[in-house]
Amino acid sequence: MKPAATALALILTAAPALAQELNALVWCDHTDPALIEPFEKKWGVKVNLKEYEGTGAALSIIEQSRPGDWDVLVIDGIDVPRAVAAGILAPLPVDRLPYDTLFPEVVMAETHVIDGQTWAITEKFGYNTVSFDKSKVSAADLADMTRLWSGDFAGRLAVYDYYLPVMGLVAVGLGLKTADLTAADLPAIEEALLKLKDSAASVGEVVASQTAIATGAVDILVGGGEWVTAGLVSENPNLDWMIPEQGAVRWSQSIGVFAASGRKDLAVEFVRHVLSPEGQAALATSSCYWAMPANRAAGEVLTADQKAALRWDEQAEYLKRAQLYPAPDAALDAAMQDVWTRFLAR
Amino acid sequence: MRRFALCAGYMGALYAFILLPVGVLVLFSFQDGRLPIPPFRGPTLRWHEAVLTDRRLMAALWNSAVVAAGSSAVATLLGFLAARGLATGRLAGAAAIRAALLAPLSVSYLVIGLGLLASLNLAGLGLSLWTVAIGHSVINLPLCFAICAAAMGPAVVQAERAARDLGAGEGRVMALVTAPMILPALAAAFLLSMTFSWDEFIIAFLLSRFEVTLPVEIWSLLRGGLNPKTNAVGSLVFLASALVVLAAELALLRRKG
Amino acid sequence: MSLDAAEARRAWALTLPAVVWTVAFFVVPFMAMAALSLWQRTAAGLVPAWTLENYRAILGEPAAVRAILNSIEITLTVTALSVVLAFPLAWIIAEEVPPRWRRLALALAVLPFWTSYVVRSYAWSLMLARQGVLNGWLEGIGLPALDLANSRAATVIGFTHFFTMLLTLTIYASLTQLPPNLRRAAADLGAGPVATFHHVILPLTAPGIAVGAFLTFALCVGDYVTPQILGGGRDLAAAQLVMLNLGRRADIPMAAALSVCLMLLVTLAYLLLARFMRAPR
Repeated sequence: MKPAATALALILTAAPALAQELNALVWCDHTDPALIEPFEKKWGVKVNLKEYEGTGAALSIIEQSRPGDWDVLVIDGIDVPRAVAAGILAPLPVDRLPYDTLFPEVVMAETHVIDGQTWAITEKFGYNTVSFDKSKVSAADLADMTRLWSGDFAGRLAVYDYYLPVMGLVAVGLGLKTADLTAADLPAIEEALLKLKDSAASVGEVVASQTAIATGAVDILVGGGEWVTAGLVSENPNLDWMIPEQGAVRWSQSIGVFAASGRKDLAVEFVRHVLSPEGQAALATSSCYWAMPANRAAGEVLTADQKAALRWDEQAEYLKRAQLYPAPDAALDAAMQDVWTRFLAR
Repeated sequence: MRRFALCAGYMGALYAFILLPVGVLVLFSFQDGRLPIPPFRGPTLRWHEAVLTDRRLMAALWNSAVVAAGSSAVATLLGFLAARGLATGRLAGAAAIRAALLAPLSVSYLVIGLGLLASLNLAGLGLSLWTVAIGHSVINLPLCFAICAAAMGPAVVQAERAARDLGAGEGRVMALVTAPMILPALAAAFLLSMTFSWDEFIIAFLLSRFEVTLPVEIWSLLRGGLNPKTNAVGSLVFLASALVVLAAELALLRRKG
Repeated sequence: MSLDAAEARRAWALTLPAVVWTVAFFVVPFMAMAALSLWQRTAAGLVPAWTLENYRAILGEPAAVRAILNSIEITLTVTALSVVLAFPLAWIIAEEVPPRWRRLALALAVLPFWTSYVVRSYAWSLMLARQGVLNGWLEGIGLPALDLANSRAATVIGFTHFFTMLLTLTIYASLTQLPPNLRRAAADLGAGPVATFHHVILPLTAPGIAVGAFLTFALCVGDYVTPQILGGGRDLAAAQLVMLNLGRRADIPMAAALSVCLMLLVTLAYLLLARFMRAPR
């Protein structure tokens, strides 16, 4: 049996032995050829992409991999410290990245610079707030976020199925600061969430949420934002989004290089490509979802229509009114997921 | 007459239940617009075109075909050999072996996938299409074994013994006597495995890495945003395989008739 | 060496590869998973704690118990519905359709098998959407629209669709193995159609039905895709909880423990159905 087992191990571990490949663990907006092919052509390499959702899934994939399997990581901006603590990321060469043209609000030095080193760079951002069909509800109806779970919209709303942004949004609605959330705040959040569930026609992921609001099955999407509606406005011009009086939640995604990567130079070039004006424009308008690029310089590449859909000119106002979504430590994260499981199971 | 009407009515209703969702899917793959709801606008072929020019989808299609063919070949071969071994009636503990070989049938794909994931993880082995194919061979082996075993009647065993008595070696017996005698069963086992593997999602999802099979690619299409390509790829796959199946059926019908 | 021994050795040589394959890629992984269910996920990584803590956590979390109960309820509903829908269809195809057209009728009845599984569930979500096709028709004939999308009803419909096809196949297979003169014999002995069905046909096809029902149970209770696409997050099935633990928490031990619970359920279903699966003499 021994030789057979060895042969099997060889088959299973034999990575295709092409000289230059880059393995990237990414979100779904990185898979468009418009973003990837220019890099592949320029460097004569093949970029292997694996999509994931949620930092837990990424950590689980990384745990199941061997050192050196991965070169580039796209990760939720607030989870960068978690990845750094796990020793996953390598420091970035700051001087080779376009920090001077990044929107200053999204640089997020407090989570991205640790021990004097920069471990990841923000590449894209947007808002988790309230999307709605303006032929059915007005922005004024939604100005007070607490109305969402008051029962006024029973059966007319859908909730986006991701615990961090939606719990963050509910926290903002309750007047809490997302940065200061503690386990003591969870009972109040859970109470509001469970009421929200009673009003919800569905709780779903991106497509289910998009379908629900774009087809008129619901009038309001809690947790939505430009990333849900920007690509669909041409089909249904009534789709809109707004930030309630209490505020909303800002999300951001960052990109970094794996500490165990054997191709760090190429990986850094990939990061530079994604942060370049052309890369940023492709990323902002990806087929998976649209959202603001972190690099202002992308404004030179994006068309006027694209910028209008992204609401380029209103960003200053939005950035002021949105809080970063919560960045819980492991214990709080587990407690939040428990709340969310109860929310789903209700 | 009433009996006929009753039967026809029931068949009609159930066929509608069974075929309608697929019909609707095919219809909306021609929808001119992103929203898959009535009223129907179109027809347009742009989503089909988008599918056929989508590099990732086409790669996934090819991966699915390779994994399905490879895992089915392994499952059919192993199932056939085991069915032969057990058909001789010379094995101690045959009942236990039979039960063990059939056991994976009764386990959720999710559990099989998770088990393989956990043990590959512990063994420090990486994921690839190979691991997906292994997973699929595990779910298909019991099926192939059962189909082959059912076909290995006493007639086959006697014919084998006769051939052996006439001096044929083991390999010749298997290739020239057994396999031809149960060829329909072998074909059925292989084809059924192919369909199961072709369609399987959760094992392929858990055990693949960069190269994925079609259901996994469709899954990420579904998660990535409202995209009419989903309708188009679903109906293309359906139409292609339905044509193959119906052609096979009609050919059989004509030969018999 | 005796001829018998040689033949036994040959039989072993033929059977061994399949046995080794099954042990290596099914039995061992299953044991690995069972072992892993005794580990713990901590902030630092996976720890071989060898504790029943994950099982205790499942039993102590009402949401987890609820999810398992949901799965059982959904699966039982689906199994019953599918048997009831599939039996008459299989019967009509086996007994009433002219022999020449039988295979074609059967092929039509399972045609959607060849769409992708994921796509099938998605197609149902299009059918059932509030503004979808079904409601369009209902309104067209003046009936009130149904609110089936994103609900347990949608999950059950999606499952029933698949398993009706599967059961039509297994029941058809057992029906065609009935000796045709058996019914005539029953009629000659004075049995009416109901009595023939109850005393002759049902007992003889029970193994086929039981095997199909068991397959339905085993495949349905552990399925993730259908409730995920059709259930609309209204309630949680056990498989969704497994994937939540795997995907969002990277908690393989908890996912493994939940899977072991699912396995126990399937084993229970097998023990309950086993006595019907054996063919009566």
